[in-house]
Order: sequence, then structure tokens, then C-alpha cells
Amino acid sequence: MSGSSKKGLTLQEKHGLTGWVFLTPAVLLICWTSFYPMIQAFILSLKTGMGVNLSFSGFSNYTRILKDPTFKQTLFNTFFYLIIQVPVMLVLALILASLLNNKQLRFKGLFRTCIFLPCATSLVSYAMIFRSLFANDGFVNTVLRGFGMNPIMWFANAWTARAVIIIALIWRWTGYNMVFYLSGLQNIEYSVYEAARIDGASPLQTFFKITVPLLKPTILLTTITSTNGTLQLFDESLNLTNGGPGKSTMTMSHYIYNTSFVQSPNFGYAAAMSIIILILVAILAILQMKVGDER
Amino acid sequence: MKRKLISALLALTMVISMTACGGGSGASGDSGSGDAAADDGGAAADAGTDAAADSGAGQEDAAPVEGGSADENTLTVWTWDPNFNIYAIQKAAEIYAQDHEGFKVEVSEVQSDDIETRLTTAVAAGDLSTLPDIFLMQDNSFQKYATNYPDIFTDLTSSGIDFSQFSSAKVAYSTLDGKNYGIPFDNGAVINCMRTDYLEEAGFTIDDFTDITWSDYMEKAKVVLEKTGQPILTSQAGSPDLIMMMLQSCGSSLFNEDGSVNIAGNEELKQMMDIYVQMVADGTLVEVTDWDQYIASLNNGTAVSALNGCWIMASITVAEDQSGKWAITNMPKLDGVSNATNYSNNGGSSWAISSNCQKVDLAIDFMNSTFAGSNALYDDVISKGALATWAPAGESEAYNESVEFFGNDAIYAKIVEFATHTPSNITGAYYYDARDAVGVALSNICQQGADIDSEIQTAQETVEFNMGG
Repeated sequence: MSGSSKKGLTLQEKHGLTGWVFLTPAVLLICWTSFYPMIQAFILSLKTGMGVNLSFSGFSNYTRILKDPTFKQTLFNTFFYLIIQVPVMLVLALILASLLNNKQLRFKGLFRTCIFLPCATSLVSYAMIFRSLFANDGFVNTVLRGFGMNPIMWFANAWTARAVIIIALIWRWTGYNMVFYLSGLQNIEYSVYEAARIDGASPLQTFFKITVPLLKPTILLTTITSTNGTLQLFDESLNLTNGGPGKSTMTMSHYIYNTSFVQSPNFGYAAAMSIIILILVAILAILQMKVGDER
Repeated sequence: MKRKLISALLALTMVISMTACGGGSGASGDSGSGDAAADDGGAAADAGTDAAADSGAGQEDAAPVEGGSADENTLTVWTWDPNFNIYAIQKAAEIYAQDHEGFKVEVSEVQSDDIETRLTTAVAAGDLSTLPDIFLMQDNSFQKYATNYPDIFTDLTSSGIDFSQFSSAKVAYSTLDGKNYGIPFDNGAVINCMRTDYLEEAGFTIDDFTDITWSDYMEKAKVVLEKTGQPILTSQAGSPDLIMMMLQSCGSSLFNEDGSVNIAGNEELKQMMDIYVQMVADGTLVEVTDWDQYIASLNNGTAVSALNGCWIMASITVAEDQSGKWAITNMPKLDGVSNATNYSNNGGSSWAISSNCQKVDLAIDFMNSTFAGSNALYDDVISKGALATWAPAGESEAYNESVEFFGNDAIYAKIVEFATHTPSNITGAYYYDARDAVGVALSNICQQGADIDSEIQTAQETVEFNMGG
């Protein structure tokens, strides 16, 4: 035993150490660029004051959130987007992915590219394009008039404005999630499908009995990332509707931005609200992992 | 093992997406605000936002010069709009260089809200060394920055600049607690630009809209709509610009002298909301989605008039085929309000010398001999529609020239005269909070049919809430 301790580490310990050496740079970087700002944000959220003359005020910013009708409104808006948009988008992405996974389909590459392409556009520019599409005399209303229907003032009503944001989000992100499913589908043996067909399973049965269960980890992953993304939604709210009419389409991140840069700056309060978003994301992710991962 | 792998993967993607989102939202926020400046033109309400929108797109690659210049005779400047503010400061430098060999300005084009974001960021980071020697700031934002971050400005009170030569209402924007932080630049006097050909069709002349009241205006607007089929006004939905102009025209503000919120129980404000809502109901005021559509409505003849700061002329004169079909007069005034006038202000900005400036004497002397002391400068920049708030400039010949586009009227002298009658208003640090709250109330009332009184009450509470934290 004394010999091995002179030599230093056992083989296993060496392997462990090598692993840690490789991990260290990444861990340090993540700590420095992610966790350090998060801790700073938390400290900031405990302060209050004008401009940069801040002083500690305990949890007053957090109790303030409870009394803020605007925050409640933005919380409602964000969760409304989440509840409608994420399921619709993921189901669409799943359907598209299983259609495009068909070996007999021609021009597969072309279709895949077309559906993925929206993802390559900048968030700001696509939001502005959607705004002009849905403008009072925009393309959508021109088409509606062509069919003899009354034009809709999309941005004048809270619900239609929210609908436009959801449509835009679905257009932008469905292809992105579809790619995850497509790659997940590559890992499912084609022979499984062949066997199912020989056994006389209908396409619908194959989808629900084979595709969905085997894709479960990927579905879980996309649900979590989409939830995360939707809770932090910002560009669409700012550029597509600018939160309007009133504040009925404003998201939480947009409100945080306004609190820091548009209104008289209140960084402590803004930081407190972003900590709340962080907690919400974490809670939802834990819930989804508990529900999705049964093993 | 597999489970571990999956959870590790999940953790990894979350980390990646979080960091990616963090970086992404920062960058898009930056570019987003530039775009927002363009479509939010009404809110930004600066001199020639429209032109800023045009120029903004092409210059994303050029990072603004940060900090001062090493050269003794060079001042660094942040401002926006090549056709307006940048032109003016370069012209000023040219004039100053005639007596001061080797003087130069190094101008970086930065949009107004990007300047504000940069200032906020610099102060928050505790590093003011990135600030230029001179920057331009919206009058409406000035109090917010002077209150929150007085450290970024050089106090100009005893700099030798004669502030009494500027209109007092204008100087008030950049003055806090008796200290002058800014040198006033352009004028945002409200003008009523009307299409005379449409008016003629409806049986009116421009004189029928001069020195009138809002009730008179609304009746005539109905006749115009009936005869020409066009609304008299267009407005960006949710933008409280028009309300703010009306409010200032009777010397009223969203704040009281002591800084408390003056929204609920503000009789003038309620009357203005009523006028706005009634005009929307009559169809004489049509709301459009964004700033671009507002400008389009003026250029393509789907609006009979524009009621806005005089910088709107730059956008109107773009439609050269409409030359001679426009005329300028003052805005309507409120009925039954004792302080009501036919004059107001929307937009305009002031120059500030940053606290980071190492050549304060040079910067002050430059400003004192140009923006606060050069007729030649103001005579030149008037061709761009930049009207002086420096009183001696208004007496110059250039201001009496007739302008063909506006029916050979001497519009500049007219606008300078409007400016002298404009009542002052109180902005304060929470100006944008209050303005936004009124905008939200207005859009809820017009678009969702909400009750005026309860919306005004909500607006009051929102601003009080923001001030409470």
C-alpha cells in the first residue's frame, strides 16, 4: 500500500483527474460568464434607488412585484403564448418530421431546407416583416379583401395581436424543432417500422405506438428549450407589436427592458423580475423532467 | 448510464441555450432599439426621425468612437441623422475652424435611444471614459438623465454661454435645480401642415384653420371627410403624441410643479382624450400601425394634414410632386381652458458636454461661438429644416425667405414666431413613464372601448407605482 501511495494516484484516480482537467476550462468559463452575472443580478435585485445610487433594501423589490399590475399582465401574456404556442408548434414539428422521414418521399432535402429556412432569418427582421404583412393595408388584409371578407385590424385588438405573435413564433421556430425530431428519427431502426407494417399497423398506430415513445427524450428536450425560449421572449414583443395595444402583448422580458432603459431606470426592480423568470424556468424544467422521464 | 447521459445532455443544452439566449438577446436588443427608433418615431419625436430611419440601416458596421480624441484640436461627438444633426455639427465645426486653425470634430452616428442606452450602460459599469466630448440628447429625455445620472454632464451654468438668448421654455428642458446642463439646439414648434388642394375641394382655405378651436376644427374635419373622403389626421396607434401636444398647448403637464403625477383629475387631459376618441369615432382621425405608415399617409395623400413638430416638414417635402399644395398654420386650441394657446412643441434636442471631456474650455468655446453665437450657422442649417431656438437667428434674412413648396409662404419666420408663443411644460425624470401610461390608456380606450375615467385612473396609478420603487 505504501508503494502505491508513493507513486501517487491509482489508475482510476488518474482517469478522474484527467477528466476534471478537461472539464475545468469550460466550468470556469460557465461560472464566469453565467453564474457570476446571475449572482450579481441577485445582489442587484436586493437594492433600490435612483440611477446608480443604489442601497440595500432587502426583499422590497420582490414584494413590489406582487403589487405590480403590469407584471401580472405581462406574466399572463407570456404564459398565454407558452400554453398555446409550444404545444401547437411541437405537434406541427413532429408531424412534419415524420412526413419528411418517409424514405419514398422525393425532394426531401428541398422540403427540409424550406421548413428550416425561417430559422436563419434575424429575429428583428422577421418581426418587422410580419408587422408589415399584418398591417391595416398589408398583404394579409389584401388577401382577405380578395376573398370578399372584411379586413381585420390585427394590431388594434388584444387577441388578434396575440394571435399574430403566436403565428409568427410558429413560423419561426417549427422548422428548428423539426430538425431535432428528424435527427431523433434517424436513431429509430427502420426495420421497426417495416415490422409494424408487416404486422398490419396503420400509419396512425405506428406514429403513436412507435414514433412518439421512441422520440420521448427528444420531445422532452424540445419542450424544455421551447418553454425556456418562450418565457424569455423579447424581440417579437418589442418589434412586432411594441407590446400594444396597450400592454396586452408585452412579455416579461420586454417589461424588464422597459424598466431599465425606457422608463426612468430601476435596475434593482428589473433584476428582481429577471430572477423571477429564472425561477419560473427552473420550476417548469423540473416539472417537465419529472413528467417526461419515467425511468 | 443512459439516463445519466440524457440528463447530462439536457443540462448541457440548457446551459448552452441560456448563454446563447443571453448573448442573443443582448445583440438583438441593440439592433432592435435602432429599428424601434425608426418606427417609434412619434415617441422618439426627435428632429427628423424619419431621415434617421433611412440612414440607420447602412451604418451598422461603423462602431462609434468612444472617449475623447488624442488630438488637442479635435472633439468627439455622438449624434444621429446625417441630414440634420450631423450636418449641423459639421457645419458648426467648419465655421469655428475659420478662426481656429486645425479644429475638427469627429462625429459618430449613433441613434438617439442608442446614445441613451450607451450612457446608461457606461454609468452602470462605472466607467465614463467611453463617453465622447459632446453628445446630443432629446429634450424629453434630458431631465431623466440629469436626475438619475448628473455625473455624466459638465455643468455649464457659469461657462459664459448666454442662456437668456434662447427661449426660456427650451432652456428649461436641460436645466435642473438651477444648473444648465445643455446647449439648446433645434426647435420642435408644432405646425399644422395642410393640403390646400383638399381644403379647396371641401370649400375651405388655410385661413379657416388658423387661430381656431378644437370644436371648430372637428366640425370642419367632418366636412372635409364628406367632401374629399380623406381623414384630416392620421396618427400612430397607441402613440400619445397628439395628446402631449394638446396638453402643452395649454401649459399643462402630466406632472405638477412639485413633481407629483397630474393625470387623474387633469381636466384638460380628459378633454383631449374625449376629442381624440370622438375624432376616431367620426372617422376624421385614422390610426395607422406604425411610423412608416404615418409618413406614407402624408406622402400618398390619404391624410389631409399633419399636426406635428416642425421637423415633420422634412418628411412632407420628400413628395416633390406635391410642391405648392401644402400650407402651414398653427394648431387648434382647446375650448374653455383659460391658458389655452394655438401653440405647442413636439421634440427637439439639446447638446451636452460630457463629464469625460478633457478639453472643456475648447468644447465650451466651440459651442459658444457656434450654436450659441453664429448667425451664419443657423442661416445655413435652416435649409435642412433645423430651426433655431437662439433668438438672434430668427431676425436673420434667411428666415424671411419664401418657400415654394409651401405656397411661397415665409414659413420659417412663421414657425419661429409660433415657438415664441409656446408654453413650457414639466418633463421630469418620469416623463416617459407617464407618457407611456397615457399611451396605454389611449389605446385601451380607442381600440378596446375601455372607460375613459377608469383608464385615466389606472394611468395615474401606474406612474405612481413606478415612482414608488
